Amino acid sequence: MESGTHQFEPHVSEVQLRISGTGLPELFEEAGYALAELMLGEAPLPQPSPESAVERVALVAADTEALLVDWLNELIARSDLTKRVYTDLVVDEFQERSLRAHVRGVSPLVLKTAVKAATFHGLELNEHDDGFTATVVLDV
Amino acid sequence: METLPEVPHQLEPLIRQIGPALYELGQGFREDMRVPARIVADSELLQQMVQDRSVPQLVNVTTLPGIQGFAIGMPDMHEGYGFPVGGVAGTALPDGVISPGGIGFDINCGVRLLATGLRHEDVKEVLPEVAHDLARSIPTGFGRHGRLSLAPEQMDRVLTEGVPYLVDELGLGGPEDVDYLEASGCLDGADTAKVSVRARERGHDQLGTLGGGNHFLEVQRVERVLDPEAAPALGLFEGQLTVLIHTGSRGLGHQVCTDAVRTMDRALAREGIRLVDRQLACAPLSSAEGQDYFAAMCAAANFAWANRQVLTHRVREVFRRWFGDRSAAWPRIVYDVAHNIAKLEPHGGQRLCVHRKGATRAFGPGHPELPAAYHQVGQPVFIPGSMGTASFVLVGKAAAEAISLSSACHGAGRRLSRAASKRQVVGSELRAALNRQGIAVECPSNAELAEEAPLAYKDVERVVDVVEAAGIARKVARLVPLAVLKG
Repeated sequence: MESGTHQFEPHVSEVQLRISGTGLPELFEEAGYALAELMLGEAPLPQPSPESAVERVALVAADTEALLVDWLNELIARSDLTKRVYTDLVVDEFQERSLRAHVRGVSPLVLKTAVKAATFHGLELNEHDDGFTATVVLDV
Repeated sequence: METLPEVPHQLEPLIRQIGPALYELGQGFREDMRVPARIVADSELLQQMVQDRSVPQLVNVTTLPGIQGFAIGMPDMHEGYGFPVGGVAGTALPDGVISPGGIGFDINCGVRLLATGLRHEDVKEVLPEVAHDLARSIPTGFGRHGRLSLAPEQMDRVLTEGVPYLVDELGLGGPEDVDYLEASGCLDGADTAKVSVRARERGHDQLGTLGGGNHFLEVQRVERVLDPEAAPALGLFEGQLTVLIHTGSRGLGHQVCTDAVRTMDRALAREGIRLVDRQLACAPLSSAEGQDYFAAMCAAANFAWANRQVLTHRVREVFRRWFGDRSAAWPRIVYDVAHNIAKLEPHGGQRLCVHRKGATRAFGPGHPELPAAYHQVGQPVFIPGSMGTASFVLVGKAAAEAISLSSACHGAGRRLSRAASKRQVVGSELRAALNRQGIAVECPSNAELAEEAPLAYKDVERVVDVVEAAGIARKVARLVPLAVLKG
C-alpha cells in the first residue's frame, strides 16, 4: 500500500491540491512531493544526487492545518532562495503543531509552474479510518 | 435568511440589476454580511462568474470588520483565494481591518505601458530580432536572477524610496518617469524593519526580473484610437509601437504576504475576529499587526515599482541598440498602475483602506494624484487581453468613485483552469498559430503557453465594453500584440 497519494483538482486561477497519507508525517511528505511535481511538471520525480546538500527544517505553527501551510511555504521559499526543487523529503519528528524534517533538492534549468505560496483558503485536514486527507489551494 | 447554495450558479436568480452593468446581492442574503455585494458585469459575464466560487468569495469579503458601502467585483472577476480576483473593498480608518488576502501574494503586481515615437510599419522587419534581444536581456522564470544585485543598504533604499531612488541615485531612468507612475513609484509608509530577513533574501537578486506565471512583456501596435481627444493627451497614435510590462514584487512580496497571513491568523482570537475563510486573515489597521503589515506591504509595493523601472531600463537599452539614440525610439512611460494593493484614499467623506485584488485604480479627471498632463482626461487604465488578443487603454471617469471606489478591472479574467486549457489547446499549435498571426512568441514551454491560451480567458472586448457601460472608465485605444515574452 502506498503511504501517500495526491491529485490536482480543478480551480479556475490557482491549483487545488488533494493529498492523502496513512499518517500525518506521510501526508506532509506527500504534500511536498506534490509541490515538486507541480513545479517540475514531471513524475516520477528526479532524485537528488547522493552528494546534494541536506537541509534541515524545523517548524512550529498554531495548529496542524497551519503547520501544513507553513511546511509548503517553507519549501516554496527555499526553492526561491536556493533554486532547488525538493524531491527527497523525510519528516523525522512530527507533533500536532511542530515538525522536524530533512530535505534534498534538484536544480532544474526551467520550472514548469512557479508557485507563489500555499494559502489557508479552503484548507481542510481530516482523519479517516485508513489515514488522513487534506486540501490546500496554492497560488500559482 | 437563505443559506449559501452549494452550487454557485444557483446564486444568479438572487442577484438583481441596480444600474447599467451593475448588479447587487443584498445584505440580507447571508446573516454575516455587513454590506451588500456588487458586481460590475453584463448578463453573460455574470453567468460566467456564477460558474465558479467568485461570488461566494465576494460575499465573504462583505463580512470583514469595518467594511464600508459594499464589496464589489470587477467584470473580470473570477475565483481566487480569500478575495476573488477582481475584488475591491474599502474599510474605514482607523479600526477597519487590513487583510493581506485582499491584496494577494504578488503585492503590487501591476502593468506599465511604454510608448515610443516609432511606427510599427517602419520597424516591422527587425521586430522578431528585437523580441529575441528582449528575451535575452530580461530574465524570466526560475533560477534567472537580475543583473542588478543590491547591497543591503541599497535594498533598504529601494524598499523605502522606490523608483525615485533608482532614478536619482542609480541613473535607471529620468526624473520625468516618476511623474507617470501611480503614487510616483513610492508609498510613504514603508518600513524596512517590518520586512523579514527571508523576504529581503528572496528579493535581493530579483530586481529586474519578469518571473513566471501570467507575467509577460508584450510589444504592441496601437491598432485603433477610440477617443481622439484623450489619445493625444496620453501621447498615443495609430500605428505606434508600444511595450506593456506585467509583473510584480516577486519573491519578496510573496514572503511579505506569507509572513503577514501567518501573524494575523494567530492574532484573530485576540481581536475577536471570526472569519468564514481563514485566508481572509486580517487585523485592524490601527493594531500592531495591521501597522506592521501595511509598512511591509508599502515596502514590497515600492520594490515592485522598482522592478518595473529596471525592466523599463532594459527595454530602453534594447531599443537603443536597435533604433539608436533618436528621441522617437525612446520608450516613454505612459503610466504604471498597481493591481494588487491596499491604498489609503478618501471616498465619500471617509478615509478608507481600499483593497484592490486584481483590480486597478481608476481616478477621474482633475484628481490631485494625477500628473498635470492627464488632469483633463483622467487616469490611464490598462486592460491587457490574453496572449494573442487585444489590450485596451482607458481613462478613469469621476463617476467611478461612487460606483466602484474608483476602481476598474485589471485584465480579461480567467474563465478556464490551467488544466482545462491544456486539455483543449496544444501548446505547439498555439505557438504556430500566433506566429502565423505575425506574433513572435518568446516562451520556452509549450505547456505553459497552452495554460495562457486565449480561450482560457473571458472576452476582453466584452469586459472593456462593460467597464465603459458601467461608467467607470472610457476607451481610448485598442492595442494588438506583435511579440510576447513570457516567464
